[in-house]
Amino acid sequence: MNHLDPQRHVRGESQYLDDVPTQQGTLFAAVFESPLAHGVLVNLDLSAALAAPGVVRILTADDIPGDNQIGGIVPDEPLLAHGHVHFRGQPVALVLARHEHQAHAALKLIKVDIEPLPIITDPRVAAAQGELIVPPRTFKIGDSAATWASCAHVFEGVAESGGQEHLYIETQGAYAFPTEMGGVRIISSTQGPTAVQRHTAHVLGLGMHQVEVDVTRLGGGFGGKEDQATPWGALAALGAYCTKKPVKLVLDRMADMRMTGKRHPYSSDFKIGLDKDLRIVAYEVTFFQNAGAAADLSPAVMERTLFHATNSYFVPNVTATAFSCRTNLPPNTAFRGFGGPQGMFVIESAIAKAAEELGIPACEIQRKNLLRENDLFSYRQPAEMCHAEQAWDTAAKEFDLAGTRAEVEQFNQQNKLQKKGLAVMPICFGISFTKTPMNQARALVHIYSDGSVGVSTGAVEMGQGVNTKIAHVAARTLGISVNRVKVESTNTTRVANTSPSAASATADLNGKATEMACAALRERLLRHACTEYTLNYEGLEIRDEQVLAAGVPAETDWEKLVSSAFWKRVALTENAHYATPDLHFDAATNQGHPFAYHVYGTAITTVTVDCLRGTYTVDALRIAHDFGQSFNEVIDRGQIEGGAVQGIGWMTMEEIAYNAEGRLLSNSLNSYKIPDIYAAPKVLDVHFLDTPGHPKAILRSKAVGEPPLMYGIGTYFALRDAVRAFQPRTALPFSAPMTPEKVLVSLYPEFSAAETGWNATAVGTPASIAS
Amino acid sequence: MTDHFPPDSAAQPDSPVPNDGRRSFIKQATGFLGLALAPPLISQAERLTAISKKVEGVTEMRLKVNGTVRTISAEPRVTLLDALREKLDLTGSKKGCDHGQCGACTVLVDGRRINSCLTLAVMNQGKEITTVEGLAKGEELHPLQAAFIEHDGFQCGYCTPGQLMSGVACLKEGHATTDGDVREWMSGNLCRCGAYPNIVAAIRQVEKSGFKS
Repeated sequence: MNHLDPQRHVRGESQYLDDVPTQQGTLFAAVFESPLAHGVLVNLDLSAALAAPGVVRILTADDIPGDNQIGGIVPDEPLLAHGHVHFRGQPVALVLARHEHQAHAALKLIKVDIEPLPIITDPRVAAAQGELIVPPRTFKIGDSAATWASCAHVFEGVAESGGQEHLYIETQGAYAFPTEMGGVRIISSTQGPTAVQRHTAHVLGLGMHQVEVDVTRLGGGFGGKEDQATPWGALAALGAYCTKKPVKLVLDRMADMRMTGKRHPYSSDFKIGLDKDLRIVAYEVTFFQNAGAAADLSPAVMERTLFHATNSYFVPNVTATAFSCRTNLPPNTAFRGFGGPQGMFVIESAIAKAAEELGIPACEIQRKNLLRENDLFSYRQPAEMCHAEQAWDTAAKEFDLAGTRAEVEQFNQQNKLQKKGLAVMPICFGISFTKTPMNQARALVHIYSDGSVGVSTGAVEMGQGVNTKIAHVAARTLGISVNRVKVESTNTTRVANTSPSAASATADLNGKATEMACAALRERLLRHACTEYTLNYEGLEIRDEQVLAAGVPAETDWEKLVSSAFWKRVALTENAHYATPDLHFDAATNQGHPFAYHVYGTAITTVTVDCLRGTYTVDALRIAHDFGQSFNEVIDRGQIEGGAVQGIGWMTMEEIAYNAEGRLLSNSLNSYKIPDIYAAPKVLDVHFLDTPGHPKAILRSKAVGEPPLMYGIGTYFALRDAVRAFQPRTALPFSAPMTPEKVLVSLYPEFSAAETGWNATAVGTPASIAS
Repeated sequence: MTDHFPPDSAAQPDSPVPNDGRRSFIKQATGFLGLALAPPLISQAERLTAISKKVEGVTEMRLKVNGTVRTISAEPRVTLLDALREKLDLTGSKKGCDHGQCGACTVLVDGRRINSCLTLAVMNQGKEITTVEGLAKGEELHPLQAAFIEHDGFQCGYCTPGQLMSGVACLKEGHATTDGDVREWMSGNLCRCGAYPNIVAAIRQVEKSGFKS
């Protein structure tokens, strides 16, 4: 089903934030950032910058009328630095000028005096010094400590995964306008309009009703605009509030990369115990999450790491502990998967370690330990409607796992300088915000007197197709053509107190609310039809815009029915509220039922490594995925493909590098590589598993945003498999991303001394970049 | 990640090179500066006849965009991308990086694709500039636009204008005859949503349909 957005996209007519026509008198903002990662802000000299051409005003923390605080979970993040700076790139002042280039030119004239303080970039160092964002959390089931003695095999190790820059092609930005009564209206590129509204109101000392936030669409978000769109919205609003002029703030690419947080790098210790039949009986893991300088969403990300620490496997004895470590880097934040992928990478590493030590394929251990119906997760929710084994077995059959393995082995016997690798990656991802109160949404549906329909929800369209899905839900529920339905911009004055578009739950939550509102309107219209046309309510329905009484067309259709209802003063507007039922979770005991349901799937990845160069290609990624009853296969397939490619990027080429001073070295697309068209696997098959879906999923079509990212983890292990085919003796640390440089070093360990920087992953200085 | 240069690329030395914005920028900028410093270089000057030669301050320049000549006032340092977006309200071309690294700003100049963020507006006077807004003929979409819709060659849509312009040039250059060719000649256009398989499919479909631009 094609909706209107694609038509506008290909014509270049879709309006994004930076495309909004500039209002006369608009001031352009540029952000002055801290040049040091940690220190005392001694003096800020703005005099030269204020005298620069076009500069109207420069705002600092002293100009904030309300509370200089934008921390969402923990109040630890000022909008503009005051007293101290805690990371390089932290906003210190906001320059407002008549032209954008004048604002940027003035930045160079600001002089700042900072007394340096010690800089921490490594999460383990931070943890050792007690620099934690929140107290550590432990998810525990069974008694792992008591189990080790009875295990046939026990393996320990360290696994590290790097950060990931969101690199939405549309950078962060906001455009704020002063309104009557001293408020502001903000057009924002945000996944969380309510977050921008709430924090802006707080910063300006206003009620939330004085701050309106409107979002049409985003040029990509991926989590990077969930919490981190807030500073730019609030800064633009501060400018508009203080100058009474419209203020536009759009970050340029390099500023965006310097100033915003990324996916959290993790360094983790694991210990896994198996019985003689290769059943995993115990798993202990300690995660050190590199949170950056402020909490942002880190505690929630850390929690999801714990939820997904055992991925798709049943483990009876689990002790998983996580530390959220404060470092002097930009606050790391949500990124598709939200800590889940980081947790899964560690248990996959543990299984790979066990398999390598035992000399067996990892998939023997993986398959044997997959979740089954009613198996308990460490947080005590049972796996219900579990499709883990079905996904695995279907993938193995549809994509001929045994044949693929034989092909890989044969290829590796016949080729010396090229090696193939294979990995199977099962996934299990819980759907819902793990903070239970966030699982609520509202929809406001108007039927206009001509029969057209306008739908407003809290969902933000960022390419995931949620608007198309919501329009489809409305059309299907009302029994009309989707062409009659318009999904409006996301606006805090129409739908209030929204949760961000995140957690893969947007279509479920907002779709359910839309379904409820439309069902109420449908019932009202049919009741009206009963009296107006003397029909029996039983068996009355609207299908294809025709009113049917017991299947027989009645003398009215959609347009006539709506018109007649309007003239008989029937309410044609409905507001519905949906809260996902039966969710609960106790963060004190770390037990409960946090997820509406789980999504399952299995991917088979094959790669070829060029053993002279260390370069590689992903030959094929074949996925069997649990969509439930997809009602838009095109959108859903696109999410799987795109998510998987992003996951491959995270695991292979996307290497974030900071130096010891906390300066981002991978600070542009020159030095940070995201998947290009070559990185997409040559073969990317998606098989729709035959699953019934879940009643808590919208129209039984399961959430699809985040789960596919984790298929990319398979690429790391396939590369590892290929490297080991060439160099069986190599001591391969579990360290992602597996860049071509790292592959090359591991192919020829004899040429790479111990100090080649293996342990430098996401944080610290990779040898290849160190100066 | 593998070298995937099409075998015939060496055999066609005269074929237009896509996405060589940096090179043409340097070439043209050199010519432009040379003109400013040494007016007797008439061959270059003739190319720029009757168009602005100022190097400083706001000046009028005429740009032929999507078949229509329009006059704008801008400083010579203004990029073609900024001129399109801010002076001509053609916001279809997107600013993803402003450094010629993402391809979201790709437009056609005299039929060749370039990153409009890497060329100055003043250098593109007297040339035929085509942006995404100029692809469709009224209601009728360009075949590649229709193919992008059919194959879902986008998600958020932000890179789409650049992908389309690159794709149109790719077809015209004859660089769309195999999937491998399309990958190579489209590799300068990034899509963070990862719609790559569908982009390749869309371009290949138009190529197979025998469409000639």
